[in-house]
Amino acid sequence: MRTDRIISGLTLLLAAVYLYATSRIPTLEIGDPLGPKAFPILLGIALVLGAILLVIETLRAHPADTGEKPRESLHHLWLIGGVTLWTVLYFSVFDAVGYLVSTSVYLLVMTGVFNRGKWIANVLTSILFTIGSYVLFVKILGVVLPRGILSF
Amino acid sequence: MNGFNVALMPINLWYTFLGCFMGTIIGVLPGIGPAAGIGLLIPVTFGMDPTSALIMMAGIYYGAMYGGSTTSILINTPGEASSVMTALDGYQMAKNGRAGAALAVSAIGSFIAGSLGIVALTVLAVPLAAVALKFGPAEYFCLMLFALAAVSSLTGKSIAKGIISTVLGLMIATIGIDLQSGQPRYTMGVPELQDGVGFLVVVVGLFAIGEVFSNLEEHIKGRSEIIRLSGRLWLTAEEWRRSIMPIVRGGLIGFFKGVLPGAGATIATMLSYTVEKRISKTPEKFGTGMIEGVAGPEAANNAATCGSMVPLLTLGIPGSGSTAVLMGAFIMYGIQPGPLLFEKRPDLVWGLVDSMYIGNIMLLILNLPLIGLFVRILYIPTGILLSLILAVSAIGVYSINGNTLELHMALMFGVLGYVFRKVDIPLAPMVLALVLGGIMEQSFRQAMTISGADPKVFIHSGISITLLVLTVVMVLLPVVLPRLREWQSGPEDTDS
Repeated sequence: MRTDRIISGLTLLLAAVYLYATSRIPTLEIGDPLGPKAFPILLGIALVLGAILLVIETLRAHPADTGEKPRESLHHLWLIGGVTLWTVLYFSVFDAVGYLVSTSVYLLVMTGVFNRGKWIANVLTSILFTIGSYVLFVKILGVVLPRGILSF
Repeated sequence: MNGFNVALMPINLWYTFLGCFMGTIIGVLPGIGPAAGIGLLIPVTFGMDPTSALIMMAGIYYGAMYGGSTTSILINTPGEASSVMTALDGYQMAKNGRAGAALAVSAIGSFIAGSLGIVALTVLAVPLAAVALKFGPAEYFCLMLFALAAVSSLTGKSIAKGIISTVLGLMIATIGIDLQSGQPRYTMGVPELQDGVGFLVVVVGLFAIGEVFSNLEEHIKGRSEIIRLSGRLWLTAEEWRRSIMPIVRGGLIGFFKGVLPGAGATIATMLSYTVEKRISKTPEKFGTGMIEGVAGPEAANNAATCGSMVPLLTLGIPGSGSTAVLMGAFIMYGIQPGPLLFEKRPDLVWGLVDSMYIGNIMLLILNLPLIGLFVRILYIPTGILLSLILAVSAIGVYSINGNTLELHMALMFGVLGYVFRKVDIPLAPMVLALVLGGIMEQSFRQAMTISGADPKVFIHSGISITLLVLTVVMVLLPVVLPRLREWQSGPEDTDS
């Protein structure tokens, strides 16, 4: 229930930001009578209604429905946060360092964490997949992937 | 109707096969669903003939329904949301040594229901398209409103969350240069955003990356898996007899639920399971390995897949997350699904529909004898699999525009998708809203322009009024239904 209230709050905040940004859009009176702001304003209102509805739902919830989930272990959230950061890093250097290098390193670490202990499988998969996918996508399918620091 | 001429072209036969094959694998694999699979594949198909590409993607869509049941039965882990019901009795059947029968009935039931569904699609398509031609912008707007309302209210328990998800999708759709006034909106000075947020970026982020994050978490929590090898892959005469009617019923329920917008396949399977249980003479045995509990839902989810193609092709309105991605694919090829498509490119539409007949046959063959092959995929360690999907997501997104900003945006949506899954905000409404958002706003403004800013244009025609009424019904449904159920179960309780 607590999370639902947080969601309502965040949603209202988002609606406020969106409506504010909408008000900043300059209006030209030519042509269609509504202009670029009309639909967004309706959306902003709809979002506010949605947030209010959510609050109403939390208030009306039967006791049997609630049953607060036991506090999720924060350890998992740290883990996902870590994966996110590692992926951000991967995406940031993707262009500069090139597909082959960045992806192999990325996969090596990821498989190392999530498939612990099976070094041979992890290293083999990371390297083979990277090379294989590069060949498949760049050579055969004609997709453009960054070369980065490598000369080929 | 020369659809078969198109569908039987060798290259299209190949693509049908490829689609069904990949679809089955995607269905079997945890961590990736048909929506993500199609989304990841779209950039790869840019050079292809649109008909062939769409045939392949449709193959992935209905193929995934076949694959998802395999994991439900063998390891009690549904590959798709629509396979959840199958796991209830299917896994129990596997434990009782009847895994082969469960797999067989699900493949055969899916085939029968799927084929009937495609026939129904063929029959319904033309008259529906004719009706759709009478739709003006006001009617289209009401139709889209109805579709979004239906999806919001039918997915999940909270309609408020459905509405929030929908409106968020619509808002994202407003980012970019407004076509009618040339005015940039919400671009925050970022030039890449002038074309709006890439549809694929959102899809890959929400469905592929987001799903992987959720699965990584589950993996770390330690899901124990028991893989059972299947028994003989055939049904006894008695099992056949018991399965036929559930397949027929499931097929009907599935098709009609699929035509209606809103989480067609998943809810159809739940309905089918509930119906079979209610009709059965031994309802208490459901959950212990009743073949009706597998045959019905499996037929339902395949029929629903065919059903959901109906509004997509005839009206241009997707009814679920996966069909929304399919629609996105159509748009990327510059094709507008809807009644005009039947007139302008009948070869594409009928080629696609007829390829589904062929695909269904291919899937039956793939799923009966070759099932062992697909099960082997499950032996790949989850940690490796999930990591690879992330790498593939990077390729997919980067290959569209070659800019890393989109990679980061996809990741953002991935985190969003992960958060949404944790707090039970449904994803399908957002994707649907994103796909329809632009068109919806255009219809709204066109209608208002025609009427000179008079909002009564939306209640002018019979069609619009009907749709608006249905929209209200959809919104009120989650409020009214629980009351009805309480009222109904009252008298039953006093019997026991």
